[in-house]
Amino acid sequence: MTTSLRQRVLRLAGTYAFWIFGTLVTLIPIWWMFVVSMRSRVELFGRPNLMLSRFFTENYTNVLTDSAFQRYMTNSIVVSTSNAVLVMVLALLATYALSRYKLTGRDNIFFWLITNRMAPPAAFLLPLFIMFTRTFRIGGWTLYDTQIGLILLYCVFNLPFAIWLLKGVVDGIPIELDDAAMIDGAGLWGVLRHVIVPLAAPGLAVTGILSWVFAWNEYLFAANLTSVNARTITTGLAEFVTVTGTNWGELAAMSMITLIPSAVIVIVAQRYIVMGLTFGAVKE
Amino acid sequence: MRNSRTGWLLLSPTLIILLIFGFAPFLYVLFVGFNQWNVFSAEDGLIFNGLDNFRRLVFDADFLHSVGLTARFAIFAIGSEVVLGFVLAQMLTRNFPGKSLFRIIHTLPLMVAPIAVGAIWRLLVIPGFGPVPFFLDRWFDLQYQIGTYPDQALWTSVIMDVWHWTPFVTLTMLAGLTAIPKEPVEQAKVDGASRFQVFWYVTLPFLRPVLLTTVFIRIMDAIRTVDEVWMLAGGGPGTRFTGIYIWRVVFPRTDYGYGSSISIITLYLTIVLCWLLFIAISGRRKGETE
Amino acid sequence: MKKIFTLVLLLAFALLANMSLVTADHHGWWVEAAAPYAGTTIRGVSESTPPSNYVADVLAAQFTELTGINVEFETTSWDQMYSKAINDMEANTGIYDFVYIEQDIIYSYLAQDYLVNLTQFAGDNPDLAYASYDESAFTSFADYFKNADGDLFGVPMEAFVKVYLYRKDLFEDADIMAAFEADYGYALAPAETFEQYRDNAEFFTAYGESMDMDLWGTTVQGSTGHPASTYEFLESIGPSFGLYNWGINLETGSAQSANGGALDGDTAVAALDYWVGLLPFAPPEATSSTWDEVASSFAAGRAAQGWVYGENAAWIATDDSRSAITGNVGVRLPVTAEGVIEAAEMGDGYIGYYDGGAFGIPHSSRNKEATLLWLQFIGQPSVQAEWAAAGARITHTATFDDPLIAEQDTKVDGYYTLLEEQGPLFAGAPPFPFHAQVREIIDPFIHRVILGELTAAEGLSQAAMAVDEELDRLGYGM
Repeated sequence: MTTSLRQRVLRLAGTYAFWIFGTLVTLIPIWWMFVVSMRSRVELFGRPNLMLSRFFTENYTNVLTDSAFQRYMTNSIVVSTSNAVLVMVLALLATYALSRYKLTGRDNIFFWLITNRMAPPAAFLLPLFIMFTRTFRIGGWTLYDTQIGLILLYCVFNLPFAIWLLKGVVDGIPIELDDAAMIDGAGLWGVLRHVIVPLAAPGLAVTGILSWVFAWNEYLFAANLTSVNARTITTGLAEFVTVTGTNWGELAAMSMITLIPSAVIVIVAQRYIVMGLTFGAVKE
Repeated sequence: MRNSRTGWLLLSPTLIILLIFGFAPFLYVLFVGFNQWNVFSAEDGLIFNGLDNFRRLVFDADFLHSVGLTARFAIFAIGSEVVLGFVLAQMLTRNFPGKSLFRIIHTLPLMVAPIAVGAIWRLLVIPGFGPVPFFLDRWFDLQYQIGTYPDQALWTSVIMDVWHWTPFVTLTMLAGLTAIPKEPVEQAKVDGASRFQVFWYVTLPFLRPVLLTTVFIRIMDAIRTVDEVWMLAGGGPGTRFTGIYIWRVVFPRTDYGYGSSISIITLYLTIVLCWLLFIAISGRRKGETE
Repeated sequence: MKKIFTLVLLLAFALLANMSLVTADHHGWWVEAAAPYAGTTIRGVSESTPPSNYVADVLAAQFTELTGINVEFETTSWDQMYSKAINDMEANTGIYDFVYIEQDIIYSYLAQDYLVNLTQFAGDNPDLAYASYDESAFTSFADYFKNADGDLFGVPMEAFVKVYLYRKDLFEDADIMAAFEADYGYALAPAETFEQYRDNAEFFTAYGESMDMDLWGTTVQGSTGHPASTYEFLESIGPSFGLYNWGINLETGSAQSANGGALDGDTAVAALDYWVGLLPFAPPEATSSTWDEVASSFAAGRAAQGWVYGENAAWIATDDSRSAITGNVGVRLPVTAEGVIEAAEMGDGYIGYYDGGAFGIPHSSRNKEATLLWLQFIGQPSVQAEWAAAGARITHTATFDDPLIAEQDTKVDGYYTLLEEQGPLFAGAPPFPFHAQVREIIDPFIHRVILGELTAAEGLSQAAMAVDEELDRLGYGM
């Protein structure tokens, strides 16, 4: 008996050693970013010191009191949240269609949907720019520099991902359940609401969360297709890179702040992420 | 059985959005790819030049080099992520106090914006204020300068990518592992299979679809990586990946024609690669019955 | 006829303005001139540098209060700024009413006819011409924003030269001076020749090592992932060796010596060899350093001497919160090869790049009139001194004499005097309509020479060939 207890203790110790090491590796870069954000510009140079020497909060107060920063933050929140909701709804409808209806060229459509995520973004910026400023023009209004523009555009990389993720989940819901609900008199919306959504909830949640995170983190499109009104927080980060000395302290402070909302979401929704990420690939 | 018109109706919003914001720009890029077009050339506008751009890129040493680098980057990064992610996921299937805390911490890097990831790692590795070169020099007497040694720059971007994306792989693997039914594993153990045999003959086949899907998604994203590496090393030697090369051609050089043709080829290569993987995933049932 | 009339009118205005020094009159003029445009919003894009932040934060607010015209400023990074401005102007979208024009890109913009001729535009709209705004008040730097007829296309807002900075505390330390003299047999001093510069660099690197200090002998702006290294070579080191216009011969459209170019010539090879040869004496971050890292390294006291853009000189010398060597910064003209200064004085060539930028109005702008008022507002003499003090930039000749600047000048070891007196020895970028395109072609070769993959001669001869190919493709070749 004693050996088994010892074994168990050893094993637990090993587990903790492994995880503590892993945690250190994960956290050191973030910790360093935090340390940098707590330093004045002149303190940054010299021999690197991983310890926090003092609480220098000027970088944070500078960033937080900047009205531009507040606007960027609002834009990021609006764009990511709207995009995540839109993607969840559209992806659910699309996957339901792909899963339950005999559509000509179904597999090809599915694959084509996914290829939308593969395009190297740089060359696509020009047509998108022209589209945003010229094609979608109503009077003096254009899609350029609007939140709605980004919300729709982010679907290009989020929808393929979401559809793939949900496809497996919806495929995994037995079609008999749909039929049973229909016999009970439910229409299409009834089936979606009372059968599919509840059963696909973990998958939907993870779709929403990851779409949100991808949208929150996007830089290149936001940088090129917004100007003043709809700029997001990631484009704000680039403003600190200047000719006369990159302002690393404020850059780090801003990075820390951008990390917070997504970290909170992940902590809250941690359980769903694992439940929903199976891509429906494993079925009993 | 069901009215396919309803199906198309449900699919239509997705199709419309992707046709407008995905496919239309693609057509434009495809069209420009067959033209000579540099905003700052002596002659204005697009000049149709057939396949010249494509002929040019076959002999473009910089482009070929960037493809090679991207391939190395993707293979090393994704390979390490899969192995690490699997090990971590396996560790997370056990129960021990504090597990969820570790899991949350491990997920954090996934939440950092790529551009911030690049900035963090630049702060870590630039001599002068980064701790990494400082301690490597002090403890191991190693010269670590990503601006001077292309290999170090490549490895740094691989490690950065592994740091950033392993959590994603861990989560999908964990999801896959938790969904594996218990009985076959138990049965195999009863039959006297070694741990490795259980892994190889039972766990892995079950995990294969999740694994391939994860790899597929990572490949798509790794090939288009720009933000992080751009912030880290500006796309210098060792990190001039295809995505960055395209960016340089399209942007500072404003060679829209050539940049478009490179984009088309890159997209084509990605699609072929992913198509092969896709077939491997779709054909999974056949594989399992063997 | 109309022009003469305008001139007379302008003169009358100028006289009036001079006679009535009461600001209320000016105030009245602005309000009246801006009345038709009050309430409109003009939008501009700029890099986030201290001078441009001053414009965004201070001058824009003053202007809005005075005229009722709102000014929206988009500050962004260097690469982004170009792509956004060019996209806008090329697609004729009209997003921006004024754009930041870095001096070296102006010829590309002029060749594509992106910019409004400010001289002509003000002449055509006498109601909008502000009396105290005078194009001739600008320093010689404004010449680099003019076309062949002398018409101005951008209101200069930043201007600086790359100077030689050294640390006075080290160069004037008695022990160090003795040690140097013992080793090299002559007295330690700020370098005047390339040999001396190299000796200094070697000495201080060895000194730093022996004292276990984080000190090296020179800065090198040698980023291998950024055009900054190409710029340092082509626009600072090259000219000081006598390599002008990037070694590209515009008449023959070639960079190769065989066709009248000089990029692969002996001077260029010697310059590149010399510059790359300094890398062992530069701090380890040199190969990752763009202009901002070079300034930061120098401000951190990690280099004894170096080539640093002048816009940084002021903060390195005076700002305690960012620099560890305040009060110890010496400023000199950059080192040059024999005969280069004399040639520059004669007007044959130049010793380095007169850098900076201006604000101009793109043709695509939909609010040109309101923007013209705005540009005159930032170009008027009365706002210059404070702006100069805040951003270390001088664009008006008169600003040099301002007490605010005179005081600042002593703190930065005469940088402003140098700019005033020797500024004309520097020159704007070569008048290439293909500036960024060809620089991108040269970049990888310079990077590979820095890495040691190619020798200077190999790198430059391959670069010259590649440049010629690109020039052909662009239609500027032979």
